[in-house]
Amino acid sequence: MFASPTERLLDNLQAKGLLAPAQAAALADYERQRPFSLHYELRALLYLGVTLLSGGLGVLIYQNLEHIGHGVVAAGIAALMAVCLAYAARRRPAFTWGTAPSPGLLPEYLLLLGCLLFLVLEGYLQAQYQLFGTRYGLAAALAAALFFGVAYAFDHRGVLSLAITALASWVGVSIAPLAAYAHNDYAALSGPAVGLGLGLGALGLWSDLTNHKRHFAFAYLSLGGNLALVALTAALFLGPGQTGVPRWVVLPVLLATCAALAWYARRTQSYLFLLMGAVFGYVAFSYLLFEVFDLIDGLALGLLYFPLTAVGVVAFLVNLKRILRIAPPTK
Amino acid sequence: MKFRIQAYDPAWALHAAARAAAARWHRQGLLPETQRAAIDAASPLGYYRPAWLLRVVLFFFASLGCATAVGFLFAVLPGGSSSGAVLTAGLCLSAGGFLAVLELTIAGPRPYHAGYDNALLYAALLALLGLGVQAQVAVGGADTLAGPRLGPFLLYGLVVLSAATVRYADPLAAALAFLAYMALAANLALQTAAGPALLPFVAMLAAAGAGAAVRRLARGPHYFYYRTCLRTTKALALAAFYLGGNYLVVREGNAALGHLSFAPQIPFAPLFYGLTALVPLAYLYYGLRYHDRLTLTAGLLAVAFSLFTLRYYRALLPPAVAATLAGAVLLAVAAATLRYLRTPRHGLTAAADDEAPPRFNLETLVVAQANGVAAAPAHGFAFGGGQSGGGGANGQW
Repeated sequence: MFASPTERLLDNLQAKGLLAPAQAAALADYERQRPFSLHYELRALLYLGVTLLSGGLGVLIYQNLEHIGHGVVAAGIAALMAVCLAYAARRRPAFTWGTAPSPGLLPEYLLLLGCLLFLVLEGYLQAQYQLFGTRYGLAAALAAALFFGVAYAFDHRGVLSLAITALASWVGVSIAPLAAYAHNDYAALSGPAVGLGLGLGALGLWSDLTNHKRHFAFAYLSLGGNLALVALTAALFLGPGQTGVPRWVVLPVLLATCAALAWYARRTQSYLFLLMGAVFGYVAFSYLLFEVFDLIDGLALGLLYFPLTAVGVVAFLVNLKRILRIAPPTK
Repeated sequence: MKFRIQAYDPAWALHAAARAAAARWHRQGLLPETQRAAIDAASPLGYYRPAWLLRVVLFFFASLGCATAVGFLFAVLPGGSSSGAVLTAGLCLSAGGFLAVLELTIAGPRPYHAGYDNALLYAALLALLGLGVQAQVAVGGADTLAGPRLGPFLLYGLVVLSAATVRYADPLAAALAFLAYMALAANLALQTAAGPALLPFVAMLAAAGAGAAVRRLARGPHYFYYRTCLRTTKALALAAFYLGGNYLVVREGNAALGHLSFAPQIPFAPLFYGLTALVPLAYLYYGLRYHDRLTLTAGLLAVAFSLFTLRYYRALLPPAVAATLAGAVLLAVAAATLRYLRTPRHGLTAAADDEAPPRFNLETLVVAQANGVAAAPAHGFAFGGGQSGGGGANGQW
């Protein structure tokens, strides 16, 4: 029998005199008997199951709208939703502004399934009975209100993501990380998009700074910050002719948003937020130099500006740990 | 100074592994803080390796620099890049130059797979492989995988990439070396008359051989130095072994080799049905039995691909029904497993490992992207709750 890597590591540490022989033997025993965790595999299966089931039912109900069976399907979905929500409600942890203890994987994902089925049902009622008429926003607002309530009551980050997308849908924009770049018509919607993004960002900051569901801050700030930055940048390039918002308003707000994200990144030592702030800040800063101050023409652009700023970017990266105040590893 | 095969100090990888293990034991209360600190102090990390995001950016800038250097080189070489001799000289100079810079950099600021050293290595490898491509183009006979003169080129690529893997422990070089090895095996098999029929078995045999070699090398003295390379190769070998026996791959591959417009039934079809069904289950069993996460994940992905294979030829149910049923089955299986493993059994548990929780909350972004409520549509559309689960609606099952 060959020694496993961990056993060789233990031998190595023992040989250096860093572990007593009895201790090394105890650690080897622990490593041999340690159970193998299937936590993330099960999470992935549950998430995939929830997504497939709600997606499949969502299509199924539309396909059966013409047939006699749609009422049965709708009743089945409603019953399933009720079961999911009831099951999750029975295991709901007591409310706290901190992190609630997890009720287990199954209640967590059945809660998510219940919320997704609520969307399916809403869509069905609208398609069949025009429940919301042409006020589509009402459906989204209803979903957002329910999901925000559920997310806070059950301390569920997945449902919080749904709530944020529903709220954005009510405003009329897509807030999903990639859809924010591709699906929005910023000529018409940059004002609401910026307002929503900044509002969500502020909510995230409030969560973190006042310790009200601090672990929700990531969702608010990543989704809201992304939307606000994309919308502001789009407004900057589209100009007041299309968006109706003057550039002297957009540019300072954009730079301030970048600065706020960088400040928050320092606070939480987050690379993601620093990157967001730096990339959009770079774009805004370059825009300021080119268009507003008209400092640089085309030739200087290629020969000077980009090489010089590339050097700046590298210097920034090399000093990043210092910028984020991450202590260097002790030697 | 004594010459060492490994370019980076192998002690770095060992020290990093010792620190990680000590931190884990400390969290479990098995190691007092003073001892953990002593292990940290005895395991210095004398290298530079920033977070992955910065490695990507550093890689990008270093690649840009390498490309600029090559462009500059060909601009000053007499005769330009048109003549073969100049091209050869330029590639040789580039490869030598990049390798020299790489070695000096490792000796100097001590990057350890920090992005820019990866870029230098890839630039050197590209130049070296470019020499092979140039020779190959000159002799010809390599337009298909069965090309009679392709073998020596693949062998050259295998040698270059293996040497790079041994010295620099780079996972991409290891992956490419594995691909060159598989292509070489296929090329040799296709030289014989029975080649096309034997190809699936040759591929499975070659992958099994690579897997056995990985197992053996994992017992070698520098396991931690090569850990990423070994895992990469193992993942690829598992995938190649499964795909080599997968009915869909064999049937469509057979048609592609014979330049057929449609894929006819293949000989030994029942054998490939069996392999498509059983290999994923064998992976799952092995992964669970021997606590091997890589094999377990490969098994889960293989199950999904086997179901796709089944649906590709025998779509028994419409997509929406299939997705609904698959979702229900997945939920039921996961729920039953959770209940069964409420207390750990057979060395398995449903509880999370004690590893530090990830800072980057991926699930938040995935749910927003995949399940989120689409923006309210313009007038005249039905409100589309049905769009919410795009993942299930596209008939992948």
